[in-house]
Amino acid sequence: MKKVLVLLLALTMILLPLTACGKKDDGALSVCLASEPDTLDPALNSAVDGATLICHLFSGLAKWEQDSTGKLVIVPDAAKELVAGVVNADGTVTYTYTLRDGLKWSDGKDVTAADFVFAWNRAASAALGADYGYMFEVVDGYDKVAETDDDGNAVNPDAKLNVEAVDAKTLKVTLSNSIAYWDELLAFPTYFPVREDVVSNEKWATKPKTYICNGPYTITQWKHNSVITLTKNSEYVDADKITMEKIKFYLSDDANNMVANFKNGTWLLIDDVPTNEIASLKADYPSEFVVAGQIGTYYVCWNINENILPAGNTLTGVEAENARTEIRNAISLLFDRNYIVEEIGQAGQVPASSFVAMGMTNPDGTEFYKTAGHNDGFDGYYNVAKDAYTANYNSAIETLKKYYTYDATTQKFTNFPTMTYLYNTSEGHKAIGEYLAQQLATIGITMNLQNQEWNTFLQTRKNGEYSIARNGWLADYNDPICFLDMWTSGSGNNDVQFGKGAHKDTTGYSLNLTALGYDINVTNGTWAQTYDVLIATIKSCTDNAKRYQLMHIAEDMLMATGCICPLYYYTDLYMISQSVHGFFSNPLGYKYFMYCTIQ
Amino acid sequence: MNSKTLLYILKRIGLAILTVWIVITITFFVMHAIPGGPFMSEKAITPAAQAALEAKYGLDKPLHQQYFTYLRDALRFDFGPSLKQRGRMVVDIIADGMKTSVKLGLIAAGIAGVVGIVLGAVAALRRNKLVDKVIMVITTAFVSMPSFIMGSLLLVLFTVSLTLLPANGTTWKGLILPIITLSLYPMAYITRLTRSSMLDVLGQDYIRTAKAKGVSSMNIIFGHALKNSLIPVITYFGPMLAYIVTGSLVVEQIFAVPGIGRSFITSITNRDYPMVMGTTIVLAVLIVVMNLISDILYKVVDPRINLE
Repeated sequence: MKKVLVLLLALTMILLPLTACGKKDDGALSVCLASEPDTLDPALNSAVDGATLICHLFSGLAKWEQDSTGKLVIVPDAAKELVAGVVNADGTVTYTYTLRDGLKWSDGKDVTAADFVFAWNRAASAALGADYGYMFEVVDGYDKVAETDDDGNAVNPDAKLNVEAVDAKTLKVTLSNSIAYWDELLAFPTYFPVREDVVSNEKWATKPKTYICNGPYTITQWKHNSVITLTKNSEYVDADKITMEKIKFYLSDDANNMVANFKNGTWLLIDDVPTNEIASLKADYPSEFVVAGQIGTYYVCWNINENILPAGNTLTGVEAENARTEIRNAISLLFDRNYIVEEIGQAGQVPASSFVAMGMTNPDGTEFYKTAGHNDGFDGYYNVAKDAYTANYNSAIETLKKYYTYDATTQKFTNFPTMTYLYNTSEGHKAIGEYLAQQLATIGITMNLQNQEWNTFLQTRKNGEYSIARNGWLADYNDPICFLDMWTSGSGNNDVQFGKGAHKDTTGYSLNLTALGYDINVTNGTWAQTYDVLIATIKSCTDNAKRYQLMHIAEDMLMATGCICPLYYYTDLYMISQSVHGFFSNPLGYKYFMYCTIQ
Repeated sequence: MNSKTLLYILKRIGLAILTVWIVITITFFVMHAIPGGPFMSEKAITPAAQAALEAKYGLDKPLHQQYFTYLRDALRFDFGPSLKQRGRMVVDIIADGMKTSVKLGLIAAGIAGVVGIVLGAVAALRRNKLVDKVIMVITTAFVSMPSFIMGSLLLVLFTVSLTLLPANGTTWKGLILPIITLSLYPMAYITRLTRSSMLDVLGQDYIRTAKAKGVSSMNIIFGHALKNSLIPVITYFGPMLAYIVTGSLVVEQIFAVPGIGRSFITSITNRDYPMVMGTTIVLAVLIVVMNLISDILYKVVDPRINLE
């Protein structure tokens, strides 16, 4: 026994000197958002954590800032001011920006308008293959850049966007038409400048030495998969306004590890927490635990070509599609969204009653979803109030009785075809899938669960090889169009398969825009003749009020199909130490640390 | 070394190369057969961008052509660029991760080997005494406890409750807990192996003979018993070392260690083909080489073993 004690004592003596572990990293702010970003090239990045880093490293024409009242606003950054566009005779809109004086790259060279021209053309080009290349579709000339032949090859490999450097300090860009969210796009990482000689080295964005940027910080240390250290860039024109000298972005995606590092005070902000610890963390850290809004919707999507009518049903064509529409809409009412967010999600999510997410605003600043659906007494397309659930449920049962045999003694439908719910492997998605399946099982509908690994899942869903699937969409900018244009027949994100397969020839959709002054009036048209036309009209509409009306019409059409069953609006969960002041995050989930102080 | 042994080693090396080639071939075709692709993401890229990227990385070529190109490049140790971490070469990513994983793995294996053998020997020599029983109970616990539980326990205890050590493996202090977690299972396993093997050896006639001839007990233990009882340990040690230095996803996740294990797993979910191939080859070569070395070591430890 004595020996064991001696051994323990010796071990303690060895370990003790090691234990003065650094709580404060030499005045630096230590945070952890996610694991190693795939890329820190502003054009190639499509991740939220990558965008956060890039916003600290680059300075675009505009940026997000918090005004004195705490409201988030878009303000000029590299541009002297965010000018209004001039409408040309052909309906295009030209913006002419003047760059501020004293803009420098981190190696001391001047930032010029030509750097923006180069960066934008590079980001939009098919050759680069950036996820967010399509963010330039609003710029005149993008159609030519993105045009492909039947094999997917670019038709005009030398095409350029309509953007030019008038002189070193003047940038002129022409948009196809006026858009409300243009200033916001200028604050989006894909629109940040890069320098041609820097990015000609394909490895430029992987090492501190070659990473030449023009923002508030530079990378001074990059231990891959471990930590990225940013240090204030003395060449940055507004360097005196930057209060945080050094930020360390630790790279981990393990929520348990993040919590351990947060609890012992090493990391002052963590961007993830384990789902099963949410309740206890909320109780133990009421001031540190933050639930922020995020513009996104978690939903279930149907494959529109999946036949869910009972065997032996004689309906065909438009009648069959109308029946399926009614059935899908009824099934949407069977799910208790309050139960899902409170018992399963537990992260402050908000029950969803529309597809366009909470946080998207109308031109007057009101919530888009609150003016959707044209319903009295509730917002959106369903009444998701707790006390409305029973009524929703009963009405759904009544609707389903029209199409399926109902056994009154067991209170179950007997001839609903078996379905499969597809989701990507994750405990959270599984729990929701199990709830949905269980709800359906209580009325005799069998829905089997099938999980697939992420990449396989994406492919299966994209190909439409499913009957009903988990889905989710996060906005890239505050304009409802980014929730609506994904459902055109030719869109790569059209998982529902609208206007594809058998649905291609399904008529029964109507669109009448004559009241809004358009010569468009289609009755019993196909999806392509109606929805695709509507989206094209929205994209070319220059009257903002009218444009929002059109977008409401588009969402009405979309929701009427019943193919999209929104469950909740996403939230962004994070924990931040009370010693950190001056922090803010934007609705896209980007986090801003440059104006922070630690007290 | 006689010519028979040399021939055997050469044969084994040939077999090792064949094994690695088979691994490469199977992995290559299976990897391309699974659905999805490297440029697949929640938000679909344009068909033009997809086509441009496929052309850039040669993924538009027929599969057999890609295979032969890959084999040719791999022979020159050119594993190509990562498709996901744009701008980084697979060799660099693997080297980066291996630096940490090898350091971690070697220390953990060293601790496991030394402590395991000593404890095993002590347990065998004190058979059925209290020390033996304590060692057996502890090692049984370590062998049956999965590393994610042990790791999580250590994490909570040392980094949150006692705040003695950092919870992330970015500094050398942060590597202490991952090393302990990694070494516990093999240490316990080696202890048990050494103990049973040693007990077996201690019962052999030649040990009795040595005792009868008055050889000192130290000499018996270290000169005869221990040496001969290490054969099963060596069999285990080679593959264990290969396994441990190629990184443990679980331990890397729990302690935020920048090792290779995590890259291997994420490369598969990302369909980062060159990364999948690169890490698979490194893993395969390591395992094959370690097995070869332990086979050769048998001969050194026990000359009775015929290597034919």
